[in-house]
Amino acid sequence: MILWKDRRQLVLEAIAGGLLILLPFYAGEYTVTTFVRIIYFGFLALSVGMLIGQAGMISLTQTAFFGLAGYVIGLLGAERDMPFPWRDLVAIGAVLVMALTFGLIAMRTHKIVFLMITLAFGQICWAFAQQNTSLLHGWAGIRGIRPPTIGGINFNQTSNFYWASLLIFALGIFVLWLLAKSPFGLALNGIRENPRRMAALGYPVYWIRVVAFLIAAVYAGVGGILATYNTGIITPTTIHLSRTIWVLLMVILGGATYFWGPVVGTAIAVWLDVLISQGTVRYNTVIGVIFVMIVLFLPEGVLSIADSLGEGGSLSPLRRLLDRKIADKR
Amino acid sequence: MDTRVAILILNGLTQAAIFFVLGSGLTLAFGLMRVINLSHGAFYLLGGYIGYSVVHATGNWPLALVAGGLSIALFGFLFERTMLFRVRGGDLPQTLLTIALSMIIADVSLAIWGGHPLTLNVPAYLNPRVTILGITYPGFRYILMGIGVFIALSLWLILYKTKLGAAVRAGVDDRETVSALGVNIDAIYSLVFALSALLVGLAGVLGGSYLQLSPGSDTTILTYSLVIIILGGMGSLLGTIVSSLILGQLLSFGLAYAPQYSYFLIFVPMAIVLAIRPQGLFGTEV
Repeated sequence: MILWKDRRQLVLEAIAGGLLILLPFYAGEYTVTTFVRIIYFGFLALSVGMLIGQAGMISLTQTAFFGLAGYVIGLLGAERDMPFPWRDLVAIGAVLVMALTFGLIAMRTHKIVFLMITLAFGQICWAFAQQNTSLLHGWAGIRGIRPPTIGGINFNQTSNFYWASLLIFALGIFVLWLLAKSPFGLALNGIRENPRRMAALGYPVYWIRVVAFLIAAVYAGVGGILATYNTGIITPTTIHLSRTIWVLLMVILGGATYFWGPVVGTAIAVWLDVLISQGTVRYNTVIGVIFVMIVLFLPEGVLSIADSLGEGGSLSPLRRLLDRKIADKR
Repeated sequence: MDTRVAILILNGLTQAAIFFVLGSGLTLAFGLMRVINLSHGAFYLLGGYIGYSVVHATGNWPLALVAGGLSIALFGFLFERTMLFRVRGGDLPQTLLTIALSMIIADVSLAIWGGHPLTLNVPAYLNPRVTILGITYPGFRYILMGIGVFIALSLWLILYKTKLGAAVRAGVDDRETVSALGVNIDAIYSLVFALSALLVGLAGVLGGSYLQLSPGSDTTILTYSLVIIILGGMGSLLGTIVSSLILGQLLSFGLAYAPQYSYFLIFVPMAIVLAIRPQGLFGTEV
């Protein structure tokens, strides 16, 4: 019986994967571009979602890492012609350095104070990007950033860029999944539930949190690199607080405690974004009202619907596909 | 003393008065309810805008101050009673709910008051030129400082000399015991949240008369308020006073000598204090 269920689930997963890989062949250019957006915001959402779901840390700095990676790509790639792998590696390096600096300070605090401090960090970065004209060009930002051509494959082409992004995304999700199952991931869950007990058991709580923060920052950074290549421009707007809030919405929409929550939330939110901005000028009001509704009536996210439907058993393959709760003991 | 420096110091004190009114509300609500109202900046903006409309219609600045403060107090009270109390105790839902509210307020304000920066008109009788020790400075700014000091004194009296204040302070330490003693802690929560909203509404009118109100002020002001209470220590009134004074001077001198980095500069003391003393200058462990 278990084997049967697993096989059905495997088929379902294979179909979903196949549909995603073949997307450029049956969907229009706009749809493919939208999926690229889902992927790079998906990285950002995974970054935020991992910290909330696994470690219980609500960080509002992640968007700054996303933007930092983009700025490095712009500064080194578009303005100083540094070749492909190096500028990207420098970008990730810069993200790690900044995450370490912020992490060492912020991890001294917990919960709501941590949230406030990370919000302030995010605002520092935004303020710097916005006020600095000599290096970062203030409001105008950096333009004309293009994805590279590697081994004769031109990633300026939408479908090529989509496949590359999809591959990186699949890899990122896989690594995160391994991480969630690893002793490190379990220690992180323990810290989320009770940091003092974990400290008493001899776990270096402070450093585990710092490392989790670094990993999450890298995810945000990778998303930032893809986003900057795709849009060709990086400005302070990218790291504005409203973007940070939007990402938080995506994560909550999907369900922060589910492994697939951030990804599902991003997919819904990006399409919702397209719909709402076509329909109204009071975009933020609509988003805000949706946000309030979710918090009050669906605090566990949309995946909790699949969860409760699946109780009957009829939807169990779908449920099992979506419902991989990170926490075994909540 | 150099006149220029003296004026910068006075500007810093004016800014500090506004900072204090802004931060005291947030720190008060946090101290008791452990809630961080992330729509604090949007409340400020809305209070300022309402004050602007009142001044625009009547020309009566004191009325605008009262209207801005009371309308936000009422708004905050209703928000707490209808929504916030449902998610009490949950960090994430509280954060999200107040963020969502702030998005809605900012967007609706943009629809009503438009995108241009607005400043409240201060009538001439409130703004005489005052010369003290040979330094001429707008009298209205002395009034702002006076209001700041008055509010600080009132808050101290309420917190330390009244029964309500005693219940609030007891609730900070142990809310369960307090409610077991027959104090209606729910009512006190609502009252404190309304008081916090009142203060930020007043701050909006005061700040809108000294500086500008524009879309985007909400996030800037929210950041200022967070920095104020993190630096001073969350929940500490004395800490809020000290950090307002520090940040006021820093902003004033920063604008004069390093305008490109003025906003950036105010984070420096926060980062230093956090690295040495995570609970802030006058805070206790949370």
